Amino acid sequence: MQGTLGLTDPARGRKRLVAAAEVLGTLAVIFFVAFPLVWMILAAFKTELDVYSTRLFFQPTLDNFRAIFANPILLGSHLWVSALVSFLTVALTVPLGAAASYVLSRHRFRGRDTLFLLILVTQFVPAVVVAIPFFTLFRTLGLIDTPWALVIVYLSFTLSYAIWMLRGFFDALPVEIEEASFIDGCNELQTLRYVTLPLVLPGLLVAAVFAFISAWNEFFFALILTRSESLTLPVAMQTISGPRGPMWEQVAAAGLVVMVPILVMSFFIRRYFVEGITVGAVK
Amino acid sequence: MAVPQTTSTVPAAAPPRAASRKSRRSGGLRWTMLLPALLVIGATVLYPLLASFLTSFRDWRLIYSPTPGPFVGLSNYTRALTDAGFLNSLGVSGLYTLISVTLTLCIGLGIALLLSKPTRLNIFARTLLIFPFAVAPVLKGYSWRFMLNPEYGVYAKGIGEVFPPLKGYLWLGNEFSALLAIAFSEIWGWAPLFALMFIGALGAIPSEVNEAARVDGASAFQVFRRITLPLLAPVIYVVALLKIISALKMFDQVAIMTAGGPGDSTQTLYFYVYQVAFRNLDLGYASAVSYILVLIMALFSTLYVRKLLRGD
Repeated sequence: MQGTLGLTDPARGRKRLVAAAEVLGTLAVIFFVAFPLVWMILAAFKTELDVYSTRLFFQPTLDNFRAIFANPILLGSHLWVSALVSFLTVALTVPLGAAASYVLSRHRFRGRDTLFLLILVTQFVPAVVVAIPFFTLFRTLGLIDTPWALVIVYLSFTLSYAIWMLRGFFDALPVEIEEASFIDGCNELQTLRYVTLPLVLPGLLVAAVFAFISAWNEFFFALILTRSESLTLPVAMQTISGPRGPMWEQVAAAGLVVMVPILVMSFFIRRYFVEGITVGAVK
Repeated sequence: MAVPQTTSTVPAAAPPRAASRKSRRSGGLRWTMLLPALLVIGATVLYPLLASFLTSFRDWRLIYSPTPGPFVGLSNYTRALTDAGFLNSLGVSGLYTLISVTLTLCIGLGIALLLSKPTRLNIFARTLLIFPFAVAPVLKGYSWRFMLNPEYGVYAKGIGEVFPPLKGYLWLGNEFSALLAIAFSEIWGWAPLFALMFIGALGAIPSEVNEAARVDGASAFQVFRRITLPLLAPVIYVVALLKIISALKMFDQVAIMTAGGPGDSTQTLYFYVYQVAFRNLDLGYASAVSYILVLIMALFSTLYVRKLLRGD
């Protein structure tokens, strides 16, 4: 591979060119994927002046983070709203989803497959259809602008999704392991508690992360069902605007705060990401 | 699948050993575990579906009345057929879906081909591919709006340097390019993810197949055209459906980047229903339009679900 100059042998020279082109192609992909993220991260550390120049080098500052943490409309309280809504969504989605998908995977009963199909189909109900009745219902109940309003509507898509995904994890678990536990004299609940659940723990984590991400990033329902108190971060970010539109350096800083936990979580479940999105449609 | 048979909760008289082992899954536990989830799904999906359906036959403007107004039959639906705003949004969503699906597939396929060889650099690049997808759509919208600003946007300026006629071009201020910009903010998330799926599928193609073709004198393009593409076709079909379903739901970036403008050129279906329901507070009509959306989605979702069930 190395040592000789490729120019002495035309075939080898061509090979080198192809190899170089392949590396360039990969670098172009890396640029396309990473640059918008990098640019936003950089902008978060720029001053108000630097953010309007496209120079790569600048004197970094933490002022934007100070500004958004000091801003009561922003991270002062809305980081907590976002966290609360996301955690409550996960706390309800995962246990309910795990229980249901365990039954759908391990029990045989009439109408099981139809039921599973129905749960699956609810995934495709457009959010606007759900939004209109809940908007009027929550107005009547006085739930508009509370975290609960969001948690309730988020369950409309996180729960069926979790059931769908977790069933795959239960199905992948050999039934013999549970059988052995039955033979050892455990009843079904004990088996579930000491054998099955520990073995599908990765699945529960993946389901939890997906539920968290969808609640944390959600914008449409949050825009409709909140007013001022319970804005989640994606909605609250709209308030960072000055006379000239968005104050980009602060938008970027807030964006970074929204982005980082999600990127970290995604990295941990990256093995399951593709299957999670398509729910096993692409094997 | 050796799924154990469940018997009824009533224990049979002294069942033989083997049978008793198979009946450890109890019916009582079954419904206690299943019901909570079913109740939640019923309350959060079926109830609103039914309520929207009933509302769609009524004239209900929230400005005039806090309770549903009179029954008006199908007139909300017939109104949609002649409503310029709705027809426009149907066209915008159609065009947007076409653009974004085509570009996502092409760019995703391109990325997959570029990263298909498992070199160290390519493996590193592959780990980056999931990140854009996980970024909140709102942030995708903000970052692309920022980068496409003609005065200080890094992408807009870069394009202007490479291609001077586009210097100072208002990407979000022109009808077609605004839709394209929204599409790109979304493509940036989806294309890398599709690339990952394609790479997975490409890995399943035995290398002997390609080598044999090359030995027989096929060009690289012919190998791609006659071998790679046909083998990827099932995956392409699935992800295309997935992308269509998601493209029909486009809302976040429209709200962040263009607010439906310029004019009404980026008013997608979701954005239009949002306007009618939560800006004009015309709930009866909005419910009818959202039901038309349910029908459109049902078409593609059915295809997707059928594919899923056959794939298992």
